Amino acid sequence: MKPLPVDEIAAAALAGLPGVGRATLRDLWKNHGSPECALGAVLAGAAGPALRRWADLDDWPERCRPDVVAARLARHRVRVLLPDQADWPIPPDLADAPALLFTRGSAYEALQRPAVAIVGTRAASPHGLADAHELASHATRAGYVVVSGLALGIDAAAHRGALDAGGLTVGVVATGPDVTYPRRHDLLYAAVHRQGLTLGEEGFGAGPLEWRFPVRNRLIAALAAVVVVVEAHERGGALDTATHAVGLGRPLLVVPGSRRNPAASGTNALLRDGATPLLDPTDLLVALERACHTPQRYAISAPIPVSATGSPHAEAASAPQSGPQRSAAARTILAACHGEAATIDELVTRSGLGTAEVSGALRELERVGAVERRHGRIWPR
Amino acid sequence: MLASIPSATVVGVDGHLVHVEVHVAPGLPAYDLVGLPDASGRESRERVRAAFASSGLEWPLRRITVNLAPAALRKTGSGLDAAIACGVLLASGQLPEHSLRDTGVVGELGLDGSLRRVPGVLAIVACLARHGVRRVVVPAEAAREAALAGSVEVLPAATLTEAVTCLRGEWPWPTAPEADPTQPFVSADGVDLADVRGLAVARTALAASAAGGHHLLLVGPPGAGKTMLARRLPTILAPLDHAHALEVTRVHSAAGLASGDHLVTTPPFRAPHHGASAPALIGGGVSRIRPGEITLASRGVLFLDELGEFAPSVLDALRQPLEDGSVLVCRSGSSVELPAHFVLVACANPCPCGRAPDRCRCSEAHRAKYRNRLSAPLLDRFDLRLYVDQPSPSDPPGPGSAEVRARVAEAVARQRARYTNFPFERNAQLPAPLLGELAPLGSDAAAELHDIALVRRLSGRGTARIHKVARTLADLDGAAAIEAAHIAAASELRSDVL
Repeated sequence: MKPLPVDEIAAAALAGLPGVGRATLRDLWKNHGSPECALGAVLAGAAGPALRRWADLDDWPERCRPDVVAARLARHRVRVLLPDQADWPIPPDLADAPALLFTRGSAYEALQRPAVAIVGTRAASPHGLADAHELASHATRAGYVVVSGLALGIDAAAHRGALDAGGLTVGVVATGPDVTYPRRHDLLYAAVHRQGLTLGEEGFGAGPLEWRFPVRNRLIAALAAVVVVVEAHERGGALDTATHAVGLGRPLLVVPGSRRNPAASGTNALLRDGATPLLDPTDLLVALERACHTPQRYAISAPIPVSATGSPHAEAASAPQSGPQRSAAARTILAACHGEAATIDELVTRSGLGTAEVSGALRELERVGAVERRHGRIWPR
Repeated sequence: MLASIPSATVVGVDGHLVHVEVHVAPGLPAYDLVGLPDASGRESRERVRAAFASSGLEWPLRRITVNLAPAALRKTGSGLDAAIACGVLLASGQLPEHSLRDTGVVGELGLDGSLRRVPGVLAIVACLARHGVRRVVVPAEAAREAALAGSVEVLPAATLTEAVTCLRGEWPWPTAPEADPTQPFVSADGVDLADVRGLAVARTALAASAAGGHHLLLVGPPGAGKTMLARRLPTILAPLDHAHALEVTRVHSAAGLASGDHLVTTPPFRAPHHGASAPALIGGGVSRIRPGEITLASRGVLFLDELGEFAPSVLDALRQPLEDGSVLVCRSGSSVELPAHFVLVACANPCPCGRAPDRCRCSEAHRAKYRNRLSAPLLDRFDLRLYVDQPSPSDPPGPGSAEVRARVAEAVARQRARYTNFPFERNAQLPAPLLGELAPLGSDAAAELHDIALVRRLSGRGTARIHKVARTLADLDGAAAIEAAHIAAASELRSDVL
């Protein structure tokens, strides 16, 4: 392994000091020219008053020792990106830009391609999860990178959609590069590291503190050419990302939902406030093409052609129609669902069939994945 | 002179034989009571002496020693007063030598010489009968209860004087009242199943639980009608048969819950609050082991509302009794086996705020924590698990309690007939290896069950549970064979609710 650049080690060392935030770091970069010089100045005690406080800390020179920091970076296979580097992914239009990024993963080309952010609530309905997965795989097949927040629910479904379609995905995290949050996303983190990367501005060991998530959300919006909100509650981080998207002038696409679906209350409110409705995966592809009207600028190496039918547009239009022959009872039940979640009692009442018949029809539909049972309800896909 | 009178003390919910030995010897007047009585037993000396004076009997001014044998068993309560009094009378020659042959004595003495009832008369008399005692002197007010034990002659006496007079043969014993075998059916608080609108599937589950003895878990948002539904379960339970009624009466009398004047034929329905401790639920206590709620609910229903609010350790303590139908409560002093053949009916909210999936505001971590309070092994014990959603006001009301109760009673009778030669009597207790023999499936039904197991990815145990519930649904329908429709309907009664 080639030795890590000195600037990156110095930047990571300074970012690891307690109480040193991106504003302090940006000042250091500005005042001293490079992180290496900044670290030298800090060690010599010549840095600004903000850093003096930490001079009392017993072990702080120890924490800043380049070999210790370098070993830590190498152990976790973490790379540090700095604003003056050629592959710095944050566009210059982001106010309050990070002073450095900790990245981890194997596919750095993901940061050079046009990306779509797909975000939403953690407590998503099966409809929302299916939508996020589907949109992510369509975007992936059209050659775009999927950016999301590695949270439960919509975020995870979006990452999985990209991974399943064989594409690249970027997880923007609010924690340190060595922290997995939520813990149950262990495998998803590993898959993202293999087929993309995770990226965040917090140093080693930074835990999932509440204030870090809104700060992280601005990066998601900044990294993407288009932001999609699939399902969101009226209060939540997804709406925060939407606000950042509007602030940065990124096109905001929102998937409409039923007024009975509480997970769609926030997205429907966004639509009322003027966001663009996303009615079909094609809408997303059109918006992406329009947003990246000069795709050459990003030098797409090769769009990943996974779809057998060729154009993702054609596939999106034709996919849901074809299906196996269904029994009369199954058709009745699907019609009785009206495309929304229903309890079995409701289906019995609406269809006029007996419980046993409804049960059999549901099983037929479950087998082909046309409906899903969750929270004691039946959800048509 | 020495006298030995058989009596009994209540240990747990069963009687335990105690021989009251009284020795009256020349010497300075003294009274010693040995053989581990509790505080109320030690106080018997004052009650017995006062009762002697009030009844015009002579208290022997000699050295009196009373031993409660076996000496190592801890005796509880005041039920041995009358036996001690009779022992003193016999040992001091105030009663003829053979007047108490094969005769047990039970009851507490009042200072005026009256004979009072104690909890657990039925358990005590049944124990005496089991040990070959032919006649038992009981307080007159408990004569009906004692008569329930059968196979023993009940000698009722209202006062010590009356007992002595009759024992001396100076007066005939009053005739013992007949055991009252029935108790009129009382609908709990006048509620009826017809009050519930909609919830057809949940109502089927309730009937299946009442008929087949299947444990039932209802999950749903507050106000959906879970508790309303569960509270109506007592109105559709089949009455107890004689053996079970006797058992329940004995337990309830020993626990001081029922007077015991009537045979309890209505299955018990116990609904402890979720603050209950493990000993309160399972049984326990320090000096005296008291039956817990599961024993009081034996042969009936234990209803746990807000299951998620019970301490997880308390809930997991239920697992073994659920499996065995009894619980062995052990303390350093003693251990007692208590019956616990109950059907567990529980209600729970789907998440801490109770509004899932619609308006839930709980974080995923909160919900996971809530789910983890209910251990998977406990959830697995529920044959019937379903999600109850708020019915709409336009839903039609279902059949009333009387109609459902009749179907349940028929289903129970059918199961009893089928399982006469087996050590169980409800479909829920059917062991999996006997399913093929006792609940055979036709080819249609077997194919349906196989298909369900495949689509729902059920384990062998999950499949067996659907099989058993299908047997109950067939019994409720009066069908001899399990049909495919029963299997399909049964599969809807066991979903992943949390």
